[in-house]
Amino acid sequence: MTTRDWRPLVREFQQVVGEKGVVWTPEEMLVFECDGLTSYREKPAVVVLPKTTAAVARVIKICHRANVPFVARGSGTGLSGGALPVTDSVLIVTAWMRTILKVDLENQQVVVQPGVINNWVTQAVSGAGFYYAPDPSSQVICSIGGNIAENSGGVHCLKYGVTTNHVLGLKLVLPEGEVVDVGGTLPEMPGYDLTGLFVGSEGTLGIATEITLRILKVPETVQVLLADFTTVAAAAGAVADIIGAGIIPAGMEIMDNLSINAVEDVVATGCYPRDAGAILLVEVDGLAVEVTENSQRIETFLYQNGARSVLTATDPDQRLKLWKGRKAAFAAMGKLSPNYYVQDGVIPRTRLAEVLQEIGRLGEEHGYKVANVFHAGDGNLHPLILYDNAVPGALHAVEELGGEILKLCVRSGGSISGEHGIGAEKRCYMPDMFTPADLETMHWVRQVFDPRNLANPGKLFPTPRTCGEGARTQGREQVKDALLF
Amino acid sequence: MKPSPDLEIKQKLTALLGAEAVSPMTEHGFRGEPWLVLPETEAVLATVLRLAHQNCWRVLPMGAGSKLRWGGLVREVELVVSLARLDPLIEHATGDLTVTVAAGMPLARLQEHLKSAGQFVALDPAYPTTATLGGILATADSGSLRHRYGGVRDLCLGLTVIRADGERAKCGGRVVKNVAGYDLMKLFTGSYGTLGIISQMTLRLYPIPPASQTLCLQGSAANLTQALLAVGNSTLTPSAVDIIANDGLGLALGFQSTPAGVAQQVAQFLSLGQALGLTVKPYTGPEIWQGAERVVCKVGVPVTAAVALAGLVTQLGGVAVLHGGGGMGHIRVMPEIMHLQKLRTFCEGVGGYLSILEAPTTLKETFDVWGYKGNALGLMERIKKQFDPLALLSPGRFVGGI
Repeated sequence: MTTRDWRPLVREFQQVVGEKGVVWTPEEMLVFECDGLTSYREKPAVVVLPKTTAAVARVIKICHRANVPFVARGSGTGLSGGALPVTDSVLIVTAWMRTILKVDLENQQVVVQPGVINNWVTQAVSGAGFYYAPDPSSQVICSIGGNIAENSGGVHCLKYGVTTNHVLGLKLVLPEGEVVDVGGTLPEMPGYDLTGLFVGSEGTLGIATEITLRILKVPETVQVLLADFTTVAAAAGAVADIIGAGIIPAGMEIMDNLSINAVEDVVATGCYPRDAGAILLVEVDGLAVEVTENSQRIETFLYQNGARSVLTATDPDQRLKLWKGRKAAFAAMGKLSPNYYVQDGVIPRTRLAEVLQEIGRLGEEHGYKVANVFHAGDGNLHPLILYDNAVPGALHAVEELGGEILKLCVRSGGSISGEHGIGAEKRCYMPDMFTPADLETMHWVRQVFDPRNLANPGKLFPTPRTCGEGARTQGREQVKDALLF
Repeated sequence: MKPSPDLEIKQKLTALLGAEAVSPMTEHGFRGEPWLVLPETEAVLATVLRLAHQNCWRVLPMGAGSKLRWGGLVREVELVVSLARLDPLIEHATGDLTVTVAAGMPLARLQEHLKSAGQFVALDPAYPTTATLGGILATADSGSLRHRYGGVRDLCLGLTVIRADGERAKCGGRVVKNVAGYDLMKLFTGSYGTLGIISQMTLRLYPIPPASQTLCLQGSAANLTQALLAVGNSTLTPSAVDIIANDGLGLALGFQSTPAGVAQQVAQFLSLGQALGLTVKPYTGPEIWQGAERVVCKVGVPVTAAVALAGLVTQLGGVAVLHGGGGMGHIRVMPEIMHLQKLRTFCEGVGGYLSILEAPTTLKETFDVWGYKGNALGLMERIKKQFDPLALLSPGRFVGGI
């Protein structure tokens, strides 16, 4: 922390958001010093909690005038350190911007403030038979604003797409305090698609203060199939056959043996066999007649690929039971190991078996166990590296292993992030995926929106310094009652 | 700025590409006397743009040229760069449901190739037999299938572009899920060649459904509106929901599913419609892209206003197809400014828009082509300036004269 006297700025912020809306005692700021990537920590100078677009714009104008960087934060569940404060920054928290501004069922859209929790959107429209499709596992706690910043996915994005496919318009406060409206109430409007450009920009282009989202009609029937296999390769083979047959399920998830046992230790679902090499969950939805037919075909593919047993459920409670273990998977890892480090690589789904084998080999080589829980349908891997942070140097070692896994994903034709974002954590791997000209072109956008580099600086773009430069402390936090992945 | 002498341009380009790839652009009658350049590789395309950048030659990029007249009137250019010869299939990852192609690949040829694998690009744009994928992407041109599969923006997974300075840059990737870096694919989709030239793209594919059928119902505007809202509130899963103004008003639903799924949905839609007094109408999509004297517009209105807009188009003697998922679609009317003003006023009154794609030059000279009414034009101009500081690419074609 520098010797800057923050009191004049604090007074200015208080004039905008009231005294309660400004937090700056060290104790109160403790909770804001990291997001879901808890191994990186940094205290902001001041935390500001605005309630309106106008207040956000005034706060940002103050930052701009004083040449102070700002970082936006929703619920703080992000896993790449996107909401990690930077030194001597103002943290703008959207926790007081939690109003659902408009529900228009006939035109199937809602307008929300950024602090609205993902799950609240569905709750607001479920009575009328609608839902908001993107469903990150942290949906009971993560905010829509954070989803916009990271372009969040979820288990159902195989069929329904990720956040960007469901955003129609945004009201934005740009990094110099200008307020603009991009997109609108229709999927395409005249002009450049700035809505699409902004989604996934990780807080580096400004703050979205009003968000227009598309909602969908709940399908008539949903069926879940749970199959267990002796190997991950067999489960991956079933995934390939299902896709190859022209069926697009709502979601397809695989868990490996290590994850299965962790889950059974903790939630004891009783339906994930402990001796299985992998379980595969497939969810299909649509009209009853389509679901029945597709489920039968899927079941055939499951058995053809060596499934030992297949459980099915259409009743909501039964479906939840089959999903329970998957949903608890990451939380359960806490039982296996004092700490874990989660990665978020993507590979072409046809290469699942070989890449997973290689990840296992890399784990052995580095001396760490790697559990795998992943979105098999779209090739989005979440390897969990188990480690003990009390061992000196362990975090550094697992980050190195994580980096090897990401490079493997890129070599296999994939990506270093499927849904968690680049943030503070993975920016040093950007040059593995993009050339200097690619990065320069992205940076052009940044320069247009934020010429002074004040919005979430040090995120997304690589710097000559290495990864893991952020302040670190020991320990791992679990947000109460929430699944972070 | 006075461009270099014509022949000097030709000499420089001929030295690079050979005489056969450089010819006068005559048939389109553009302002100035541009040279038509046909690079065959991405590297040559990059060199052409670098040369253009060094010499301040203005460039209008095109694919097959089917939509070259869409949008604003292009100011004088020295070069028209066609990607028609830059057309190879680069990779069809069958099991991954993705395809990577050079931008000059015609959609029809790609669909033919994909058919053998039981897959397709879920796009049904204008001029489907000639349109190239680069042109479709640059104009964000989609059709009825957008109801189920989304627009071009939702299907593009990665891009390579040649920038105004001749550098090659890529964004996105070849996998179906990827959030690494800014989503420049969205920025380039629908940018009408004003920010760079798209040279290559990766697209998401879908399996060809085993069965499909379209059923069109007709009736009064009030009953059609009710039917449209009832469909939206039902669990039917149509791939297309089109409001059609063509010899009266109709509501056409396309279904793609298993044979049993299609049969059941057609029956359900029919009984839903009959309960509202609708009757079956033979399905004929309106001929939007034909007619000598025509103005074709891209429009967008909320679903709740779509039938009313179709009714207004009918009153004015035009035809329309509006896609029910978002009330977006195309209308064709006579080149009457009064009519266009009336339609634009209607669209804007309900939060929508009307942009002109095809129209006689004289009309485009007097009527705002894009109808952009937002407050982000300054931001768009700054983006253009950053990507193309000399304003060499597609000058004047886009929103606000960008």
